[in-house]
Amino acid sequence: MNPPDERPPFWGSWGRIYTGLLLYLVSLIALFACFTRSWNR
Amino acid sequence: MRPLDWAVLAASLAGVAAYGVWRSRGSRTTAQYLLAGKTMPWYAMALSIMATQASAITFISTTGQSYADGMRFVQMYLGLPLAMILISAFAVPRFHSSGVFTAYEYLEKRFDARTRALASVIFLLSRGLAVGVALSAPAVVLTVLLGWPTHWTTLAMGVIAVAYTVSGGIAAVTWTEFVQMIVMTAGIIAALLTVLWLLPAGVGFTDALAVAGAAGKLNAVVWRFDLNDQYNVWSGVIGGMFLALAYFGCDQSQVQRYLTGRSIAQSRLGLLFNGVAKIPMQFFILLTGALVFVFYVYSQPPLVFQPQAMRALESQPGYPQLRAEYDRAFAQRRQAALHMDLDGFRSAQREVDVVRGRALSLAGQATGQGRVNDTNYVFLWFVVHHIPAGVVGLIMAAIFAAAMSTISAEINSLATVSMVDIYRRFVRRQAPDRHYLAASRWLTVFWGAYAVVTALYAQNLGSLVEAVNRLGSLFYGTLLGVFVLAFFLPRVRGGAAFLSMLLGEAAVFAVWHFTGLAFLWLNAIGCLVVVCSGFAISVLRPAPRPAS
Repeated sequence: MNPPDERPPFWGSWGRIYTGLLLYLVSLIALFACFTRSWNR
Repeated sequence: MRPLDWAVLAASLAGVAAYGVWRSRGSRTTAQYLLAGKTMPWYAMALSIMATQASAITFISTTGQSYADGMRFVQMYLGLPLAMILISAFAVPRFHSSGVFTAYEYLEKRFDARTRALASVIFLLSRGLAVGVALSAPAVVLTVLLGWPTHWTTLAMGVIAVAYTVSGGIAAVTWTEFVQMIVMTAGIIAALLTVLWLLPAGVGFTDALAVAGAAGKLNAVVWRFDLNDQYNVWSGVIGGMFLALAYFGCDQSQVQRYLTGRSIAQSRLGLLFNGVAKIPMQFFILLTGALVFVFYVYSQPPLVFQPQAMRALESQPGYPQLRAEYDRAFAQRRQAALHMDLDGFRSAQREVDVVRGRALSLAGQATGQGRVNDTNYVFLWFVVHHIPAGVVGLIMAAIFAAAMSTISAEINSLATVSMVDIYRRFVRRQAPDRHYLAASRWLTVFWGAYAVVTALYAQNLGSLVEAVNRLGSLFYGTLLGVFVLAFFLPRVRGGAAFLSMLLGEAAVFAVWHFTGLAFLWLNAIGCLVVVCSGFAISVLRPAPRPAS
C-alpha cells in the first residue's frame, strides 16, 4: 500500500520541515549545553 | 486553600467539562464517537497530545525532581523530535489511509488476527494497570498536604472526566485537553513568575541561577555515557527516541489522537508541534523546580517535606540533635548565598544534604518504609505555604487538568480497543452501527468505573503503585518492534510476527530481571529483539506462496 502524500501548508515539502526540526533539536542541545556550562559550576 | 482559590478551581473544572461537552455535541455514529469523524484541526490534536502525555504526577514530581536532582531530567525528551519525524513520515500516512480505528487493527490487515489480539491484550493489560494509578497518585499527594479526603479527591477528578468522556467520546476528550493544556501552561507560567517574585529583595534572576548552578541543579546536559544512568544526552536521544516512538506510534491513547485529524497533513503538524514545544515546556517546569530550591536557600524549608514522615521523625530520640545540625547548616548556607560566596555555599550545601539524608533515613526507619522519598511533596508544599491566593487555585486547576486529561484519554482509548479489537472483532461481528456506539459508551463507563475503583484501592498499595507504573513500560518495546516489522519488512508474515512478539517480551523481562540496565534502554532492546527474530524466522521459515 502506497499512502498518498500531502504537501505541508508551509516550507514546500515535508523533508524541509523535518530538516528544520532536526536543526531545532541540535540548536536546543547546544543551547542547553551552553546554559549548563555557564551556570552549573 | 482560600475562597478565591476554590472559586478559580471550581470555575476551571466546570468550564473545561462544559466546553468539552459543547464542542462534542452530535456524536451519533461510531466513527464520530471514536474518531471525531476525522475532523480535528492540527492545533487541537497538538495540545491534546501534549495534555495526554502530561499527567498530574509528572507535573508535581518533575519540579520536585529538579529540586532534588537538578534539571538533567529534561534530556529524557531529547529523542522526542526524532520520534515525531519518524512517526509523521512512516506511521501517520499508513494508519490514516488504511481507515483503521486502532493501531492494532492495522496489524490484522498486515499480519493476522492473533497478532492483533496479542497487541490489543498487551495494551489493555499495561494501560489497564496504569489507569488507576494515574488517578490515585495525585489524590494521595493532595490529601497528605491539604487534608482533603482522598476518596472525594479521587471521585471528583474521576467522575468529571468519565462524565464528559462518556458524553462526547474522543471529540470531548480532545477539546477538553486543548483547554486543559492552556490551563496547565498558565499554571506553569504563574508558578515560575511567583517563585521569582518571592525571592528576597536584592536577589535577581541571574543571582538565583548562580546559586542553583553552584548546587548543581542546572545540569541540563550531561555528556558522560553510562548505560545505568537514565538521564544523559545519549540515553535521552537514543533511549528517549525509542520510548517516544513506542508511546506515540503504538499506544492507542496517542495514536487515536492523530487518527482524528482531518487530513494526513493536519495529523503530522499536530505531532511535529509536540516535537517543537515539549522540550522547552519541560525545561521551564524543571527551571521552576530549581528556582523553588533557590527560594528555600533563603527561606528555611522543613527537614522532610512529607508531613507524615516529618511527624514520625519528630518522635525519634535523635531528632533534636539532627534539627540543631540542620538549623546550623541552613544558616551557614543562607549567609554564603546572600554574600554570593559560592565556595562557602557549596560547602554548606554538602552539609545540608548530609543532614537531610540522615533525616530521610531516620524518618524511613520510624515509618518502616526504608529511606523516605519526599520529592513528590516539594512543589505542592511550596504552593500551599508560600503562593498567594488565586494563584494557588490556578496551580491546583492545572494539576487537576493534568490528571483528568490523562484519565479521559486512557479510558477513551481502553474503551476503543475493547470495542473495536475485542468486541466487534471476536464477540459480535455483525451489528448495526448504533449497537457499536452504545457498546462504546458502555465500555467507556466500564473503564471509567474501573479506573475510579482501582484508584481507591491503589491508595493502600504503597510501593506497588510505582512497580505497576514501571511494569507498564516493559511492554512498549515489543509493540514498537511489531509495528517496525509491519511497516518495513514486507517478507515477514503473521506467524513470524506473533512468535517474535513473544520472544521480545521474554527478552525484555529477562533483561529487566537479571540486569540493572536503565529503564529507557528496555524499549530499544524489546524492539530490536522483535525485529531481528521476526526477520530471522521469516528467512528460516518463509511463508508459503499463495496459490495462483
